[in-house]
Amino acid sequence: MSNEIILKAENLYFSYDDDHTHSLNGLSLEIRKGQKVAFMGANGSGKSTFFLCCTGILKPQKGHLSFQGNEYRYDKKSLLALRSKIGIVFQDPDNQLFCASVYQEISFGILNLGVSPEEAKKEVEQIIDYLEITPFRDKPAHALSGGQKKQVSIADILVMHPDIIILDEPAAALDPKHTRMVNHIVDQMTEAGITVLMSTHDVDYAYAWADEVILFHEGKVLRHGSALEVFHDEQALSQTNLEPPAVLSLFETLCRKGILNSSLLPPRNLQTLERYIEESGSPVS
Amino acid sequence: MIAIDKLCYNSRLRYENAGEKFAFAVITLCICVMSRSTATACIVLAVTGILSIWKGGIPVRRYLRFLTVPLAFLFLSTLAVMFHIKKAPLDLLAIPVGSWYLTVGTDSFLYAVQLIFTALAAVSCLYFLSFTTPVPDILEVLHRLRCPALLTELMLLIYRFIFILLETADAIATSQNCRLGNRDYKTSLRSFGLLGSALMIRAFQRSGRLYDAMEARCYDGRIHVLSENRPPRKKIIVYIIIFDTALFLFAVWRRFFS
Repeated sequence: MSNEIILKAENLYFSYDDDHTHSLNGLSLEIRKGQKVAFMGANGSGKSTFFLCCTGILKPQKGHLSFQGNEYRYDKKSLLALRSKIGIVFQDPDNQLFCASVYQEISFGILNLGVSPEEAKKEVEQIIDYLEITPFRDKPAHALSGGQKKQVSIADILVMHPDIIILDEPAAALDPKHTRMVNHIVDQMTEAGITVLMSTHDVDYAYAWADEVILFHEGKVLRHGSALEVFHDEQALSQTNLEPPAVLSLFETLCRKGILNSSLLPPRNLQTLERYIEESGSPVS
Repeated sequence: MIAIDKLCYNSRLRYENAGEKFAFAVITLCICVMSRSTATACIVLAVTGILSIWKGGIPVRRYLRFLTVPLAFLFLSTLAVMFHIKKAPLDLLAIPVGSWYLTVGTDSFLYAVQLIFTALAAVSCLYFLSFTTPVPDILEVLHRLRCPALLTELMLLIYRFIFILLETADAIATSQNCRLGNRDYKTSLRSFGLLGSALMIRAFQRSGRLYDAMEARCYDGRIHVLSENRPPRKKIIVYIIIFDTALFLFAVWRRFFS
């Protein structure tokens, strides 16, 4: 994993209306390239506001943001350059999809990059195939299911080949099938070297998936570290009203009872924990 | 409107080139309106009906039901054309009213019939277009015809968000009904007002968020999208030319030589 810092925020302050309530309240963090970062925290803790600041939609009243070492500038040209590198998939696809036709919708972003129509056509076809949109590509947007809309809204961004993809609660209101699908797509993004920032309320998923977890609390970073570090920090978890991941709790109980060896690497997912238990059981033969 | 939208996405003619369908509907419509002849109108009515039902796969009953939508309006407006108030009665019908007559002549009667048929045929042309061509395809044609981008972009956004507006209104109305929001006339009136204001606020919020989302995808003030149009087929173009030329000649003959 490279140590290059791709995104850096220093002491950000942002307030939507007045100077008394701040959505971002002196927020500082650094994101390294290629990492899978989970953003967690209560509703209103500033995750979405931070994301909008990252894409330059909102301009923090105080503080500095930099992308690949270059400080954010808010003239039109710099913003376009920035947004071609940082893509955001919004939580509610209905706020993002503005075309009735899926094909036209996906082509919007890439044409804005100044790509020739022929090239754009190729890219759009590729992404439609890649994200398995083909079965409903001819349907109008208003006839799509929530999960299908999500697929299209991810395709919208992926087609632009950004360096960073921000996903604002991608699994919100999705059925298990589409949640799995979205998770699979996210995994492929990281494999392709894209830095993925994702906000989620699913502790178990964040623990299994993320390289780093950032806990937001009242517009500030409360805790930033590897998934394991953060989910071991009970104080930070209780302050943000999060429960520790089930796999981790179970593993610790099993260790305490002496069923599992506590020198084992804490398991990230249920499968690993199951394997541990299978392997620890005294052989019958 | 939603019914038409659903029908057109399922139409068998949906994947024909939109320009062909658009040209056929508009040219036929123009000939039909300018001809002012019942016979031409009947031909148009029959052809568009057959195309929509047989080629497009629209159920006959639904098609006829859609055709009756403008009928009531048509009848009411042609009554004024048909009836005259005159001192002397005309040949077809006369109802004495005091010393005057409310009266219908053969000429005015035929004129009213012709109006009804022409209007129906014109509507059937537009139905043909809307039953076979999804709105994004029509916008694509308008764009090619050099319709100002501002208009087509507005139509694109309005078309998409009409459905969201209706969905939202529906959800709010349902939740109001669940809480007895339509218990009596007074409460339902109040609920309706609240629904309106809630919709207004939501629409504003949504437009803000949509703008953000578009900006995040490098929106620069113009909506660029790829068109996905099927290439026109020569055979169909020839058919359209033959039909509309024949229709035009027929209309000219009816008007000037018969």
